[in-house]
Formats: sequence, structure tokens, C-alpha cells
Amino acid sequence: MIRAAIAIASATLVAFIVVPLAALLLRLTPAELIASLQTPAALTALGLSALTTMISLAITLLLGTPLAFVLARADFAGRRLVDALVDVPIVVPPAVAGLALLLAFGRFGLLGPPLRALGIQLSFTTAAVVLAQVFVASPFYVRAARGAFAAADQNLEAASATLGMGPLRTFALVTVPLAGPALFGGAILTWARALGEFGGTIMFAGNLSGVSQTLPLLVYLELEGGNIAVATAVSVVMIAASLVTILIVRTFERR
Amino acid sequence: MKRSTFVAAALVLTLCAPAIGRAADTGTVVVYAAASLREAFDAAGAAFKAKTGIAVTFDYGGSDTLAAQIAQGAPVDVFASANVKQMEKVASAGLLAGDAVTFARNRLVAIVPKANPGKVTAVFDLARPGTKVVLAAAAVPVGGYARAAFAAMNGRDGAPPDFAGAVEKNVISGELDVKAVATKIALGEGDAGVVYATDVTPTIADQVTVLQFPPAASPDAIYPIAVLKAAPDASAAQTFVTYILHDGQTFLKARGFLAP
Repeated sequence: MIRAAIAIASATLVAFIVVPLAALLLRLTPAELIASLQTPAALTALGLSALTTMISLAITLLLGTPLAFVLARADFAGRRLVDALVDVPIVVPPAVAGLALLLAFGRFGLLGPPLRALGIQLSFTTAAVVLAQVFVASPFYVRAARGAFAAADQNLEAASATLGMGPLRTFALVTVPLAGPALFGGAILTWARALGEFGGTIMFAGNLSGVSQTLPLLVYLELEGGNIAVATAVSVVMIAASLVTILIVRTFERR
Repeated sequence: MKRSTFVAAALVLTLCAPAIGRAADTGTVVVYAAASLREAFDAAGAAFKAKTGIAVTFDYGGSDTLAAQIAQGAPVDVFASANVKQMEKVASAGLLAGDAVTFARNRLVAIVPKANPGKVTAVFDLARPGTKVVLAAAAVPVGGYARAAFAAMNGRDGAPPDFAGAVEKNVISGELDVKAVATKIALGEGDAGVVYATDVTPTIADQVTVLQFPPAASPDAIYPIAVLKAAPDASAAQTFVTYILHDGQTFLKARGFLAP
């Protein structure tokens, strides 16, 4: 009896998740899928998404790694607050993220005047797409890296120092390899979240093919325009990317 | 748990899904309306409820989004579109209970932020290189109307022969509905945008300057309304449509809409 209840409960949720995914996959034949992906708008969005997610991942790694290390190892006033603040974008609604970015970096936002003095307008640019992605996606990497740095065996780092290696070399040759799998998993999650970013992008970066129209925006626009085939084809690509991402993360988690 | 039990349960549930997916009849009239109608319809809906006792729920968005959702089977009783094209899309899918009726018209205007960062003082300035123009996406009615108006200005009143092309080069975003365009301009993110006259609501009126299109280049936006076949209570839905065509006109007029 209990077994049956468990089976039904589990199957309900699995079916609920699988059925919509299957509906997307079954909608188009492989030939239609490929044809829909070869439309200029889809190819442009694919290129833009690839470019922007790579840049936002690079920025996240560059700035997030030191931050995660400090959060894991250093003890300073306000550490817990910083720790919590960094996680906020994970749970913030997409529209709130977009509005916050607009009010901070928009032309008449908090940092608008100094940026304008430098001749920079961020809103409605590809840079705005990257900023929106970093804002919503970087916490996933920082969380993973912070945990990994905290768990890394500090005896090994001490041994490395004893053997005459400087702090930077110890970090690069001992700490990072120890934390490696978790760092990689966090990076992949960040990339995937950046790929799916929609709300902040549409509000802060707008929607223009080749500049700010990433894959999620294209799905929405094509759906609006009644072009369900292209919207479906792009959705299938995004689901495939998500699935691959999750499988990679799982593989590294098992190590 | 045996794997086969699990798979069987999953299969059964999958097969049951269509049967349990029927929308419940909520007893209220569900209206999908163009984003530009928000203020007028909110007011009309409240007055309609007070008069008839029938509650109305509104879902506002780009007419193209709404039409696409209706075509995909959204449980909607009444559709009020900001152009004829999106209504025809729904009609040609065989989803209308009767003919669509025009209930309002609207005018296009250009708006610029009060601070006027792009120094835009006339609609002609939208073609000046470097002007940051925010329009709705071409599939959104107001985006289509705006582009048609620019094309009508080509070579007229001193505008260059490819005025529309020059403006299109300045477009920095194709927003998802007309309210998003108004917001971006009110925030000052773009130098100029094109919205309906009725979108210059009291909320943003003090943040933007309104520029008129040349009369010849500004076709009126036509707003049709219709009851959908899927309406569970067709008479309540029709009562609302009739109300909008008669008493409800007051609220549309108060918001700057033109009579049909």
C-alpha cells in the first residue's frame, strides 16, 4: 500500500517534468528541427548566446574565485552578510534583477552619470547582456567554489608552503586541483544559468537581433510572432544543453 | 520499488493527463486585452461588475502574445486586440464565436524623456544618426504601426526618401509590448520611442515630452473585440462586449481613446 503510494507520488512528478519536455521533442521532425535552426535569427541568437555566456563565465571565474576563497578562509567583519548578499540573485525574481540593473547602470541610474562622463552607455548593448548574466549566474559558481575551498585539505597547502612554494603557486598547484571538480561543476552551472537568462536581459539589454537577442529572448519573440517551429527548435537545443550540463555536473560530483 | 511498477504508474498518469487538464469554469469573464487598454479596461471592468454583478479578470499583454496564447488554447472568453491583424489570426483559426467589432481607435505619438538626452524635438529627428530609438518588436501591433508610419513619411515634408530605413538603423530594442517602450523612455534609457497617445498616462506624463506625427503619416490604430467560442458562459462574455461598445466608451474616452 505504502509502496504503491510512493510509486504514484514519484511517478506523478517525473511524468509532470518529462511530459512537457517530450512534447517539445516530439513536435518537430529532425529535418524540421535543423531547418528551423538555420534561420538567420536563430543562428545569430545562437552565436550571441555562445559569445555572451563565455564572457560572463570568464568574468565569473576571474572575480568569483578570489571572492569564494576569501569567503571560505578569511574571517572579517561582515563576512556572513557578504556571504548572504552574494547569494541573493539566485532567489530574486527576474524582473527585479532587470529593474535593479537598470536603476544601477542605466543612463539615469545610480552609476549613469559617471559612466556617461566616460562615454559609456550600457543599457541596450551586448555588455548589458553579459552584466545581466553575471548578476544572476555568478552566485552558482561562488557557492560551489566557497564550499570546495572550505573543504580542501589545508595540511596539503601547509606542506606545499613548507616545501618553499609561494602562496600563489600553492593556490594554483595545490588548492585549485583539490577543489577542481567542484569548481568545474559550479562553472558549468553558472554557464547554464547564464544561457537561460531572460528577465534581466529583456529589461536591461532590450531585444535586438545580433546585439541583445539571446536564445531565450528569441524563443519568446518567435512564439509571439506565431513562429512555433523556430521557438520549439531553439527550446530543444536549450533543453539538450541543460541535460548535458546536468550530466557533466553529476559526473564530477561523483568523483 | 520495482522499476516496472514505477514505469507503469508513470504511463498511467501520462495517459490520464488530458482528462484532468480541463480548465474549471470560474464564473468570471476572462478578457485578454492589449497592454495599451490596461487603465481604461481596469476602470471599465470595475464599473461593469458594479452594474451587472459579473466579475471580469483581465490579462494584458502584447496583442500578438495574447493571440498566440489563444491559438494555443488559452481559456479566454473575450479578446480585445490593438490591431486587426492579430484578431484575424484568431478568427482564421476558427476560434471566434461571432464577428469582431471595432470598439476604439488610437493615435501614434513619439515620446522623448523630459531631459531629452538625444535632443529630439520632432519625429523627423528619429532618423538622425545616433539617436537611440526604442520601438516595440515588429510583431507587436504598435511596432507594426510605427514602422508603417515611418514608411508613410518617406520623402514627404522634407524627410529623406528612406526615412523608415534610417529610423530602423537607430532602433536599439524591439520591446515586447507598448508599456515596456513607455517605461524605457520614462526611465530615459532611450532617446525616443513610439507609443499610443493613451500610453502617456498620468503616471509618466511628467517624465516624457510628446511629439505628434505628421497627420498624413499617422493612421489610427484600430481596436477590435470579440467573444471566443471557448467561452463557457457566452452570454456573460457578450454582455461585457456590449458594455464596452456602449457605457464602457466613457472610460476609453477618458483615457484618450478615439470613438470607433
